[in-house]
Amino acid sequence: MLVLVLGDLHVPHRCNSMPAKFKTLLVPGKIQHILCTGNLCTKESYDYLKTLASDVHVVRGDFDENLNYPEQKVVTVGQFRIGLCHGHQVVPWGDTESLSLIQRQLDVDILISGQTHKFEAFEHEGKFYINPGSATGAYNALDSEIVPSFVLMDIQASTVVTYVYQLLGDEVKVERIEYKK
Amino acid sequence: MAAYRARIKEFHDVLNEDQINLKRLKSMCFNGIPDEPGSVRALCWKLILNYLPLSPSKFLSFLEKQRKLYSSFIQEMIVNPGKQHFGKSGKIDVTFEDHPLNPNPDSQWVAYFKDNDVLVQIDKDVRRLCPDIGFFQRATEFPCQDVVNAAEMETLRKRVDCSVLQSHTVMKNRQGAYNWKSSKKSTVEYDLLPDGKEAHWEVVERILFIYAKLNPGLAYVQGMNEIIGPIYYIFASDSEREWSEHAECDAFFCFTNLMSEIRDNFIKSLDDSAHGIGNMMMQLMNRLQLHDPDVGSLMVTQDLKPQYFSFRWLTLLLSQEFPMPDVIRVWDSLFADSKRFDFLIDVCLAMLLLIRDDLLKNDFSSNMKLLQRYPVFDIHLVLSEAVRLQKS
Repeated sequence: MLVLVLGDLHVPHRCNSMPAKFKTLLVPGKIQHILCTGNLCTKESYDYLKTLASDVHVVRGDFDENLNYPEQKVVTVGQFRIGLCHGHQVVPWGDTESLSLIQRQLDVDILISGQTHKFEAFEHEGKFYINPGSATGAYNALDSEIVPSFVLMDIQASTVVTYVYQLLGDEVKVERIEYKK
Repeated sequence: MAAYRARIKEFHDVLNEDQINLKRLKSMCFNGIPDEPGSVRALCWKLILNYLPLSPSKFLSFLEKQRKLYSSFIQEMIVNPGKQHFGKSGKIDVTFEDHPLNPNPDSQWVAYFKDNDVLVQIDKDVRRLCPDIGFFQRATEFPCQDVVNAAEMETLRKRVDCSVLQSHTVMKNRQGAYNWKSSKKSTVEYDLLPDGKEAHWEVVERILFIYAKLNPGLAYVQGMNEIIGPIYYIFASDSEREWSEHAECDAFFCFTNLMSEIRDNFIKSLDDSAHGIGNMMMQLMNRLQLHDPDVGSLMVTQDLKPQYFSFRWLTLLLSQEFPMPDVIRVWDSLFADSKRFDFLIDVCLAMLLLIRDDLLKNDFSSNMKLLQRYPVFDIHLVLSEAVRLQKS
C-alpha cells in the first residue's frame, strides 16, 4: 500500500506551487492514502491533494487557514500505528528527545512530523521517525536554502519501505530506507 | 431410489474405466450429473471441458504438471516491485533504479500500476459474486500459501483497496488532558477476513487476474466472473480433499479451456462475425420465427430486440437467469453438448416458448421485465422442452 507523506507547502505565502518535476511524478491512481503534516495554508492546496488520493489526513500547522484540522492524529495502516503532528508545538523544533515524548504519548510505531523543512528519517529506540521536509522547498524561520522533498511509504505486513524524493538542483534524487517492526 | 443409485453406479463405472469413453460420458452428463456428495460432477466437468486426460492412470502426472505450471504463473504474473533491496538496512540511492513514481516504461512499478487498472475492475465484480449464496464470502480451507504467508507480497485485494484509513484525532484540553476521538468508521461493504486467510472470492479474483495477464488481448471483461463462479464453486466444494485442495488451479485451466470456446462473445469487434454473439442472437430469432411465428412477429412489432435479453443469456451461459443449483444443472447439459453451445440456443428458445402466452398478452415494458427477470420455472421443464426442440 502506497502512502504519500508531505507537508509544509506554504502556498501561496512563501512559494507559488510545488516544483513541476514533483507534479509530473505525482499522478492520480497510484497513491491510496495521503498523510499531510500541515501548513498547506489554503484550501486550494488541500484540494490538490484530494485529486491525488481520496483519503487525505491532515494535521494543523501554525500557518493553516483551516482551524478545524486536528492538532495530532493517529492513523492505523495494517500492523502500524502512525502518529501525525505538525511539530511547531515540539520544542526544540525537530528535537529527537522531544519527538520521542510525543511518540510515547501517542503510542505509535512511526511518528511523522514537519516544521523544520528538512527531510529526516531515522530509527530511535526501535521506533521510526519521518520528517518529509517541505514539498515546495519553502523557506523556514531559520533557513532559506531548503531542498524540496516528500516521502512515499510502501507499507506491507510488518515492513515499511520509505522512498524519499528530493529535488537537488534540477534532478530528482530518490533514496529508500527500510524499517521493520 | 434404486434407479438413482443405478445411475450413480453407471457414472462410477464409466469413470473407472481404463480409457474413459468421452462420448458415452457426455451423453450421460447431458441428462444431468447426479448431485451425489462426492466428486462425480467436478470430475465429469474436468473431463468434458477437455482438461483431464481420458485415462485415469495418467491423472496424477498430468495434474502435477499443471499445478506446477499454475504456481509458476502466480509467481511470474503477480508483479511485486521494489523487492531487489528487500531486507537491506540503511539509505540506498535508487534514483536510477526502480521507485514507485518511476516514469520509465520498463519500470516494474509502471507494470504494477497498469495491472492495478485491470484488478480494480475484477475486484469490484468478484466482491459481489453470487450474492445469493454465502460460499464466496467464506474463507477457503486452502489459501494460496505463496501469497498469504509471504511477508513481501501483498494480497490482490489490498492492492486496489481504496478504503479510508482508520484514524483518531488527538485533542489536548487546557488542563493538559488528552482526548481521543475516533473518526467515523469507514464504510466497509463486506467484512474482510484477517491476514493469513482468504475468502473464496479472492481466489476467484486471482484466477481472473492471472487469466487477464496471460491473455492481454482480451484481459478482463465483465461477465467472466459469472462464468468462473460456478466452475470454481463445484471444484472447491468437492468432498475429496486431494481435489478441492487444488480447486484454484483446476478451475483456472477449465476456465481457460471454456473461454477458448466462448471468448468471441467477449470481444466487441467480433460481435458480428460468424461465431460472434450477433450471429447467435440471429439464429435464436430465426428459430423462434420458425417454431412460433406468433411470438416471432411479436418480437418484431414490439421491437423487442434480442440484444435486450438474449445477449446476457448467451454470453453468460444463462448463469444469471437461474439460481445456482439450476445453473449447474443447465451447464451439465451445455458442457456435454457434442456440438458445444448449439444446445444453448435450444435452451434459450425453450425459455421463450414457455412464456409465450404471457408474452403475447403483455405490452413492451412488461415483456421486457419478464424477459430480463425470467420467472422461476422447474428447470427440468425448460430442459426437456429444449431437448424436444433440439430433436425437431
